[in-house]
Amino acid sequence: MNHHRLVHGVAAISAGAAALSLTACGGNLGGSSAEDFPNGAINLTVGQDAGGSTDLIARALAEPVSDDLGVPVPVMNKPGANGALAAQTLAGENADGQNLMVINASLIAITSLVVGEDEVVSLDDYEIVTGISQDDYVLVANADSGWESFEDLEGSGQTVDFATTGVGTGSQLSQELLFNQTEVDGNDVPFDGGSPALTALLGNQVDVTSIQLGEAYPQIQAGEIVPLMVFSTDRNQYLEDVPTATELGYEVPVAQYRAIAAPKGTPQETIDTLKESFDAAFETQAYQDFNTNALLTPYQVDGDEVVADWTEQRETYEALIAEYGIDMGGDA
Amino acid sequence: MDIAPVIDGFGVVLQPENLLYCLIGVVVGMLVGVLPGLGPAATIAILLPLTFNVEPVTAIIMLAGIFYGAQYGGTITSVLLRLPGEASSVVTVFDGYALARQGKAGTALGIAAIGSFVGGTVSIIALTLVAPFIASFALDFGPPEYTMLALLGILLVAAVGNGSRTKAFVAAGIGLLLATVGRDGFTGAERFTFDSLSMADGLDFVPIAMGIFGLAEILHSLENREKLAKPPAKVSNPWPSRSDLKQSSGAIGRGSVIGFVLGILPGGGAVLSSLAAYGLEKKRSRTPERFGKGAIEGVAAPETANNAAATSSFIPLLTLGIPANATIAVIFGALLIQGITPGPGLVEDHPDLFWGVVNSMYIGNLLLLMMSIPLVGLFVKILTVRASIMAPITVLITLIGVYTVNNNSFDIVLVIVFGVLGYLMKKAGFEPGPLVLAFVLGSLLESNARRSLILFDGDVAGFATRPISGTLLAVLVVVLALPLLGLLLRRDRRTPSGGIAPGGGPTPGGTPAPDGTPTDPAPEARSKEEAPS
Repeated sequence: MNHHRLVHGVAAISAGAAALSLTACGGNLGGSSAEDFPNGAINLTVGQDAGGSTDLIARALAEPVSDDLGVPVPVMNKPGANGALAAQTLAGENADGQNLMVINASLIAITSLVVGEDEVVSLDDYEIVTGISQDDYVLVANADSGWESFEDLEGSGQTVDFATTGVGTGSQLSQELLFNQTEVDGNDVPFDGGSPALTALLGNQVDVTSIQLGEAYPQIQAGEIVPLMVFSTDRNQYLEDVPTATELGYEVPVAQYRAIAAPKGTPQETIDTLKESFDAAFETQAYQDFNTNALLTPYQVDGDEVVADWTEQRETYEALIAEYGIDMGGDA
Repeated sequence: MDIAPVIDGFGVVLQPENLLYCLIGVVVGMLVGVLPGLGPAATIAILLPLTFNVEPVTAIIMLAGIFYGAQYGGTITSVLLRLPGEASSVVTVFDGYALARQGKAGTALGIAAIGSFVGGTVSIIALTLVAPFIASFALDFGPPEYTMLALLGILLVAAVGNGSRTKAFVAAGIGLLLATVGRDGFTGAERFTFDSLSMADGLDFVPIAMGIFGLAEILHSLENREKLAKPPAKVSNPWPSRSDLKQSSGAIGRGSVIGFVLGILPGGGAVLSSLAAYGLEKKRSRTPERFGKGAIEGVAAPETANNAAATSSFIPLLTLGIPANATIAVIFGALLIQGITPGPGLVEDHPDLFWGVVNSMYIGNLLLLMMSIPLVGLFVKILTVRASIMAPITVLITLIGVYTVNNNSFDIVLVIVFGVLGYLMKKAGFEPGPLVLAFVLGSLLESNARRSLILFDGDVAGFATRPISGTLLAVLVVVLALPLLGLLLRRDRRTPSGGIAPGGGPTPGGTPAPDGTPTDPAPEARSKEEAPS
């Protein structure tokens, strides 16, 4: 029954995305454990609370993947320690592809720079199925400040209180890097997530904050807050007019990336089958609409590329932190 | 004021699903109001996971229904059995039971139902007008203001606790300590996590509430299976006479105002306001000697006030994200589970939720008014269900329920640990309310105090120079100074206590803690008010 569905699924993908079917070949011919795949429901764990952007992405993908593989794909939230709790649990699951997780690059590349050694989550413990998308950080100021660009902020000559979404987040890293590269004095004020940081900015409790675009966009549209720069190497497709940090001469290559991870040792055939299925999901109109609405930039690369990218990011961040003498523990 | 979202809110309430959940909420609320031992905080804590799969607005409509529904239900056993089902109905016992013994139980219940309805409705209308106003300057509440509010909340919570103020402060102290567990949000340092990733984010509020309210209450009530007084065979003529209504109308009016005002204050809420309203009526009355012997105002005032307060205590939660009492703290947890952080943005970002919940209270109160009399007999019967059947089922639901929230078996351990802790606290006379509230307010206090100091560059004077935080600081000083002043005054002229100043100041007598088990209805208060024996 499952086998039949699988063949059917593979056929559907091949029709839908011809280019990707090249990697699909081995799917049904491999080792015994991979042959049974998928054997029942595939659990997709999210290391964050329900309702957050990671959760929404997982749910947007679970449905088309479930349709494609013909098995249920329940999304389970297991929040804790920035996703480390869920990642630790996943590493201990059977390596049969029945347990997956949406993993965030910040957990690998940024949080690991802050937490104790036993808490560091390493990509060595996982197989990466596929990259999903990129979520850019944007530096925003309250419209009341009168600042329209980062030059205005620099020209003000004042000490800038910047809100972060917490210790060991991309929000903190991006602003720490930025304010360590400018003449402006910055004051790190950690909040507990994007929404409180934004609220503090709207209430003029702080001067700027760096938050994910999806969280900032409605207020940018409403004219309440002004985007000063985007922390990505290329301009963001949703904010064409806003310069990147790189363009302005700052070395702040920070963005949030997400990927699908499986336990280490999952057979390559199973990974391939899953990759095809996720690729098929990426192709669906519903998912593409979701991506646009959530202001996400596709990052649908294969596992090896994710590992290479994130490893490089981690090294870059580590080097930058050392270079600018940044204390990620906050300078309170 | 923009009226459109208010109207839209009615559209939300009138969806069949929401109406159904509203009905379920008020029926469950009334039921737990009747059952001594199981308070609304416990019930909401136990039922939290069930709300996981419904829309946020539907979930909160139901949980809110449980809260104000319990205020109605608590009256029934107070009047019929001299057993307050709910801490906020303790004072209703004095005159309610006296009336029942005079064969006027129906009148007492009728007046209580009408008073509750009026109080609730007045409070919702006031909430509708006041909440958006508060929310409109809620963005001015920055870290310093939250610091002051949290401090004030913890202080009031501990101060209005059960007879022993020391024990309340100890409980609050434990709550504050528990709030320090987890990764430091400012430095990333691990605090009391014992290298466990499960504790890296600190202890989760939901298992604590479920353990300390839910499990502990069940354990405690198993131990205290009291022989219940036989309820009167028949409750006759629940509709009060015209003269009864006339006599109560003043009490109902004043009760609504007192309830609304005290409900907003942190630590205030239903219990304090019922006492204050009763005290005021007794003080105003030309015939105070009737109180305790069957004065209808003595039923009308507290029952009106507790319902008005239950409603208005939603204001600080929905506009600032500050829970005013333990039950609201659990509802706060429910919102968090739903992915909604209650705060200044709520009215604007989730108008359907805000107005849906607010407007559902009109419907809920109407339902309660209609049901409260016909269902009296049924609820009294439920009191006879054996605890040996109820308790294991409830425990099982609690444990399964908490697992489903985070899919984490560590949470089950937490519930059991806090269940046992809560049980021991009850045995030793410590109320769980201050602990749980201090736990919630503790993390607010710490993070905001530290944020403020970063913003002030370490200058503590900053708290006094900002207008709102400065005002709150002044209130804090007054609250601290009042009891001392009261002490001095009392030493000067030994005035008989009994009147309770409606101003939120700590009451001199024994005020039962919010959500305390009412099986032992504040012995101090009883002797003071000369309850019938």
